[in-house]
Order: sequence, then structure tokens, then C-alpha cells
Amino acid sequence: MSQVFHEIEKKIIASLRDSQKQTPESLEISTHLSPDQVRRGIEWLRLKDLAIVTESRSSVISLGRNGIESLQKGLPERRLVDLLRDGPKKLSVLQKELGSVFGPAMGLARANDWIQASSDAVSIKNMPSKLLGEYTLKLVGDKKIPRTQIDAGDLAGLLRRPDFVIEDIVKTRHISLSDSAKSIQLSDSDGQIDVESDVPEVFVARTHPLKDIINEIREIFITLGFSEILGNMTQSSFWNFDALFTPQDHPARELQDTFYLDKINAKKTGTAAQIRGVSESHKKNWHYLWDINEARRMVLRTHTTCITIKHLADNNPDEARIFSLGRVFRNEKQSYKHLAEFTQVEGVIVGKDTSLRNLMGIQREFYRRIGITKIKFWPTFFPYTEPSLQTMVYNDKLGKWIELFGMGIFRPEVTKPLGITRPVLAWGGGIERIAMLRYGMNDVREFYDNNLSWLRGTKCQ
Amino acid sequence: MPVVEISLLRLQRLVGGVTKKQISDSLPFLGLDIESQNGDLVRIEYSPNRPDYSTDFGIALGLQGLLGTKTGALRLCVRKSTRYSISAKSGVSGIRPFVSGIVAKNGRIDEKTIQQLIAMQEDLHFGMGRKRTKSSIGIHDLDKISFPLIYTTTNRDHKFTPLHHTNEMSISEILSETDVGQDYGPLLGQSSQVPIILDDNASTVSLPPIINAAVTTVTTKTKNLFVEVTGINKKDTQDMLAVVATILQSAGFALESVRIHGAKNSSPRLDTRNIAVSSMLINQTLGLNLGVSKIISSLRRARLDASSRGQKIVCTIPAYRLDIFGSMDIVEEVALGYGIWNISPELSPSQTMGEANPVSQKLRSLDKVMTGLGFLEALNSSLTSKRILYEMTRRDPKNHISVLDSKSQEHTVLRDSILAGLLENLSRNIHESYPQRLFETGTVFEADGMVHEQINFAGISAHKDANFTEIKSVLQSALKIGFGINITTKTGTSPIFERGHCASIRLDDALIGTIGKIDSEIIANYKIRVPVVGFEMSLSESLLGLNGF
Repeated sequence: MSQVFHEIEKKIIASLRDSQKQTPESLEISTHLSPDQVRRGIEWLRLKDLAIVTESRSSVISLGRNGIESLQKGLPERRLVDLLRDGPKKLSVLQKELGSVFGPAMGLARANDWIQASSDAVSIKNMPSKLLGEYTLKLVGDKKIPRTQIDAGDLAGLLRRPDFVIEDIVKTRHISLSDSAKSIQLSDSDGQIDVESDVPEVFVARTHPLKDIINEIREIFITLGFSEILGNMTQSSFWNFDALFTPQDHPARELQDTFYLDKINAKKTGTAAQIRGVSESHKKNWHYLWDINEARRMVLRTHTTCITIKHLADNNPDEARIFSLGRVFRNEKQSYKHLAEFTQVEGVIVGKDTSLRNLMGIQREFYRRIGITKIKFWPTFFPYTEPSLQTMVYNDKLGKWIELFGMGIFRPEVTKPLGITRPVLAWGGGIERIAMLRYGMNDVREFYDNNLSWLRGTKCQ
Repeated sequence: MPVVEISLLRLQRLVGGVTKKQISDSLPFLGLDIESQNGDLVRIEYSPNRPDYSTDFGIALGLQGLLGTKTGALRLCVRKSTRYSISAKSGVSGIRPFVSGIVAKNGRIDEKTIQQLIAMQEDLHFGMGRKRTKSSIGIHDLDKISFPLIYTTTNRDHKFTPLHHTNEMSISEILSETDVGQDYGPLLGQSSQVPIILDDNASTVSLPPIINAAVTTVTTKTKNLFVEVTGINKKDTQDMLAVVATILQSAGFALESVRIHGAKNSSPRLDTRNIAVSSMLINQTLGLNLGVSKIISSLRRARLDASSRGQKIVCTIPAYRLDIFGSMDIVEEVALGYGIWNISPELSPSQTMGEANPVSQKLRSLDKVMTGLGFLEALNSSLTSKRILYEMTRRDPKNHISVLDSKSQEHTVLRDSILAGLLENLSRNIHESYPQRLFETGTVFEADGMVHEQINFAGISAHKDANFTEIKSVLQSALKIGFGINITTKTGTSPIFERGHCASIRLDDALIGTIGKIDSEIIANYKIRVPVVGFEMSLSESLLGLNGF
């Protein structure tokens, strides 16, 4: 054990090595430290389990008011017999000489048969050789003496008398070294500090925990061969809905599900050919008159698919892996599991190897990379993909299957009108849900609360 | 997603010969999610493109196929009858032009069946019918009606006793006093004439799309049903009838035809359609190698019929399968009938190199610089409130963008400032230890006829010694290290910053942001007890090299 000790600690340990079980007072003497330094040093050593501090209770004797007077002038009975040593004395003389102690002195001397009294004089009868209490008075003096050091018989007389001696119960601390302290090296540690004591807490500056998961997912997409494209959060209904085969009277397009911008319409949506293609696809398959004005209404994008579909429509690549990542919006009442604004990622694959099995394969690989291995696929429905599947992943902590990303192959009713000639696999979903599983959270709103204790205290994943 | 509540026991009886466990295990593979279960009752979420799953009868059809107890399409058997007809009059053309109908006889109608039929009707009204706008259904007790019927118009003083009522009411009263009248009355417009179905005794059968007459109410004593569908489009009207007819036949009714004529109306055909798909497309799309006979048996398990012509599969689709548009829908049906659980994932190596968008990369390096400078990253919503953006900070709302009908007061306006959000964040953390230093990068929005989106960068520092010098030092270093640029500051004013402690941020004389000490009144409004300094600047054009998206 390499420990650094304060000078105070070192002096105390050294002194205790010479003599175990000392009191603070004796340590003050042996170490030449102040009482306060000794007190602190003992406390430090005790907290480190290097010193053992025990406490004993004992009785100490000091002199009371009458005791102090008797120490100076002699006990009352001593003064009486001293006055009578030269011969009998008149009562009145004795009374004057002894003052307030005359009564007690006479009483004691009579009771012990030391004196005899006639009508007007007192004389010695038996001269006492030794008076009880005189030894104690001298021993105690102005100090406090443990009762155990005083002859019990001598003390008893004084204890019976008023205010001659005072008995106090005192606690005494005894300090000894613990076993571990006995082997400590008190080598040169000058200038070193105590590196084991507690320190104040400082807070790390960091990126947001949700951003960390977003970055991790971006990296996974990149390593799976996908390139990132960006796009606006405000979109025309054309790209958010119409291009994705969602008829203009579809319930998902209503105000109660989608945020429409107040008083703002898109001046431009798609190219003339794109608009014609979409319009015809809707007419043919949904049997209604498609309205360009409805397609011009601006919305907060409800998914990132509007970004990827526009990219594909504008570029019609033979082969591509692209992804889009960002905020999407739903007009929902916020709750522990729903946000009005959340983060979505979506990838598309164009070209070779675009079967449903490949789509499932890339899902499985994605989940493996975020640490999820137990997955299964269920059929589902999206207006713009066919076939469509959703991933169910098993969460051990919750003990149940949870729905994560959706996926599918873009419908020909979506791709053909936009001039996209190759099959397109698409997959994606909300990121907060994955982040909740990773951080073990129950309330998705916490991600956007910016609660400092949460931001400062959440462990990196 | 719509939800239907069904009894597992009843479903088990309808499917026949399967266990309840087989049923619960199979439901997800029809695309049905079990939302919750309470003893025998399960709530099942189904896709809006499958209105046939709005009853246990329809779900039973699907399960029979998947579990192999009955496969192939359910062919509608409609007995041709001359007893029933509806004559449409020209007056309806301008209001709700089309009518269609069918008769269903000798069914067993118990409470549960009535419940399921009502659930189906509600779902069809909401989804396919677009809240009764496009099409709507009336289900009646056939034996209370004298045929032939006429579908005509009447004025609003016309009286009859509506469903769930005991007294006669005028149509005006029905529209103003009943719940359905208030909800759907507006669909009839302002015209004095409204559509009405009358029977041979001139008694009212239905006021489409609002309410039926009480006299034709279906009860557990009803044996025979008459269903009418009205709508604004002939195809939608007949499509909805096809779904109802299929459900009623599955429920054990014998169907008989109703002749429709007059004012461009005609009798419904409820015919099947054929779609031909090459087996190669199916196998390529699914990544499987299924033989023709396996494809046909899979389609039959999806309750479709199919035959082969060489490598072409000709699939026959019953009229109620309105979700099927073309070849890819057939491909999906093969996958569903084959069983999704039988299809194993296959990872193909990528032929492409992936890369992050340069903007994401730039922002990420700025994140690193800011955390290095001791700032914690915050994330706020882009859609926020007037209170945070304008009221608390005294900023000018003149170019703000609102959304319509938000369900939350806290999410009504697109942010045009990030700093305002960071201030709000500080106000929610006044009990946490200081110094508090936050930054955020993100999109801000501004209206100028259209929407202008750009990326802003903001930082804030709050502690007892916070001052202008500190925040300028931070910004200066962040931009020097993050982008290799040197900015200058020029005395300025801003409603959010204190006079004399506020500057504009300039890059080569171009104004790109503001920096300063937050005004003490704003700090006081937010009950923050330490000085706060901050900055906000635009990153888009000057630094990220973007020309819009």
C-alpha cells in the first residue's frame, strides 16, 4: 500500500509506535503538536482505519471551595488543635480565630475525643497524630486527580464534608494503531497529496445522447454502402403524399394527422412529366380527379420517404444505396410514447439484389450492428410499398416483441409514373424508439426536455 | 389504424378445426396486430386497405386460407331475383347519384353478429366511404319493406321515424337534433332537396347518408336483410357493396340480386377480375425459386384463385379485394400465402461505397469543437410555441410560420431561432449546478412567400461570472477551429440582448448573426438568477456551402 500522509499523521503514527494507547493529551506532549492538530490527525487516521480510538469513563477529584481554603489555611480541626497546642484557650478566643469553621472544627474534635472543654476554656485531651483528608488535599492541590490514585480512606472523610472535593466523570480517548497501520511505510512523501480523498463533481461537456445514437445509425448506413442525402422538412403534399400513391382524400392527409403550413403553398412541385405521371396513376387506380392545388399544399414532412422518392425521380439511378435521416412530424398528442416531432432514418436500394429476401437480409444485418439479434418479420401495409413488412425485435428487458422498422418494395404505381425504371427497396423507421431501448427509457419526451441532470448523467452507449 | 374487437371462441368456430393458439400465432401473418387481449376478447388492428378484416367473418376467411382449412377464393353466389328492384330518379344526380343493393336471406342473427355488422358498417363509412362522403351503407330488415323501391329526392319537411327514435321527425329536425344529423348533414349541402329511399307504400326506408328509418331496424328476430349502398361514384358504391356481400355470405346468408335502374344507374356486377403475372417476376421479387404449382397453392392460401399458362400465373381476384391493383399485389399475396416465416433473410454484399453528407460531416465536427469548449449539446423541437419564440424573448414574430390545427399548444410555430429554445432550457434547469453551457445546431424556418430553411448554430452560457468576453471568445475559437474563419463583432441591438452588451457577428462584413448578454428582463421573466450570454448565427450559405436543398 503506497499512501501519502500528512506531517501531522506521520508524527502521530510515530509516537504511537513508541507507545500504544495514548490519550490526545499525551500525544500533544510526545509530538509537540497543538491540541487541534492532534485532534485532526487522529480523525484522519481513524477515517482511513489506521487508528483505533476507544473511550473510557473515569472519575476525577478536584478541590471545592472549602477544600481550597483548607489547603491554604489547614483543615478546620487542624487549625483548632494548632491553636490549642500551646495550652488551653478561651472559647471566645477560639471563636474569633476560627470564624465560620469554629463549629465544624469543635464538633469533629469533640467527636474524636481530641479536646476537653470546661466552662470557659478548651484544652487538648488527646493530640491526634494525623488528620484524615490532609494527604488528599495536598495530593490534589489545584489539579484533577483520578480517584483511583487517591487513598480511599483518606478521601472518604472529605467526600462527606460539604464542598471540600468535587468528583467528575470524564471521558478519556485512547488512541492506538490498527494492525494495518503497523506495517505502513513512513518513507519520504514530502510534497505529495492525499489522492484518495473525495473531490467535487465536475460535468462533462458532450453531444446529446440521442445524437450519439443518430450518429451511430448514420455510421451503420454508411458502412452498409449507403450515401446520405438531405432535404427540407417542409414539403409539398406532392412529394409527401401524391408521389407516394396516397390518394388526395386519404385519411392520413387530414389536418388531424398531418401538420399543414398556414397560408403557404408550393409554387413548384415536380416536373411537368412527374406531375402528369402521378396525376394519371391516381386517376387510373383511385378513380378520382386529381387536383394539383391539393398537391401544392405545404406540409411538415410525415416521413423522410419524400426526400428519397424525389431523389430517385430526379436521378433515376441504375444502381444506388442512399439514405435520408432527419426530423419528421405527426399531428399527435404528445405522450410517453408519441412525439409530434421525431427522427427518422430511411434507406433505399436500387439495382441488383433487390429481392424481398435481400431487404430482410439488410434489416437483419442492421439490427445485428445495433446489438439486436432476435428479430422476425410480419406483413404490414404502407400505401407506397408492396410487398410490405415490419420488423419485430425481442427486447429481453421488457420481455416482449417490439415493432421497429418498416420496409417494402416501392409499388410500380409509385415508381413508373415518376420514370423510375428499377425496383427499389425501402426501409426505415423512428430512431427514438431504438434510443429508448438502448438507454432503458420509458418516456420518449425526455430526449427533448434537455434536463441537465439527465444530459450530464446519462452513460454513453 | 382501425381496430376490431372479436371473440376468439367465435373466431375459432368460424374458422373450424383449429386451436386458439394456431389462431393467435397466425393473425400477425395476415398483417393483423393483436393490440390487446382481455380473456376471450381480443382487439385486432388491421390495415385500412383491408375493410374485409373489419369483422370476424372476414378474418376467419383469411385464417382458413393461412391455416389450410379452406383455400381458394370465396366466390359470391348471388341468386338472380326479379322480386327486388330500385329505381333511381333523375333528381338524385346532382346530390348523390348512385345506389346499389343486395338481399341476404336466412341468416342467423345474434347479438354478436349485429355487433360485427355495425362495426363493419362504421369502418366502411370511415375508410372506404371517407366519412360517408364517397359512399355509405344502410342495412335493413327485408321483411319490413315492400318492393320495388325508389331512390329519389324529397324536401326537408318530409317526415319519418328515424332509427333509435319513436316519433316522426322532419328531415330538418333530424339534421339539427340528432348526432348523426349534425355530423353528416353538411354532406347534403344547402339544397332544399335531399336523397331518400322510399318503398312501394311510400314509407321511408332510408335518408342516405344520414340515417335509416326505425321501421327497418335489424334485431335478433330479423331473418332476412336488405342492404343499400349510395354514393357519389358508381364504382365506389359497387365496391362497397362487394365487401358487404362477401361478409354476409361468409356469415351464412344466401344472397339474392337487386335490380338497379334509372338515371345512369345499373345493377351491380360483383365480378371477379384476372391479373396475369409471370412466375419469374414473383420469384425475382421475393428472392425465391417457387414452382408454378407452389405459387398457385400459395395464392389459394391467400384466398385467391389462380391457374397457370406456361410460366404465367393467371390470378382471379374476387370483387371485395379492392387492395389489389396490379402484379406487385399478386407477388405480395404469394408471399403471404407461402408464409412470411418461411422466407429467410439473405444479405447481399454492397456494390456501392457509402458516405455521409458533407453538411452532416461539418455539423459533426462543429459538435466536437463545441464539446471541446465545454458546451453540452441540447436538442429542441423545430415545431415549438409562440411563447418560447416571441413572448418570453420579445422577438418579432413577423415572418413566423404556423401550422394548422395542432393538437398541442407547445407545437404550433416553426422555430426561427435556436437561442430562444436554449433560454427556455436554462429556465427549466435553474436548480442544477452552474456553470450551464449549451449549444445546438439545427434547422430554422422563415416565410418569405414560401418557406426558407437554413441551419443555425447557437450557444449559451449561464453562470455568475458570464460576460460578453467569454461568449465571444468561445464563438471566435469555434469558428476558427471548426471552419477556419475569423469573425468580427460590431455594436448592434437586438430585442433579446441587453443594450451595450450586444453585437452583430460579421464575416467579411456580411451579417451572419448576433451575440451578447441576454437582456436582464428576459432573464428575470425566466426566473434565472445568473447572467446569461449567448449567440446565434446562420451556417447555411456562408459556411456549409449549400445552395438550398
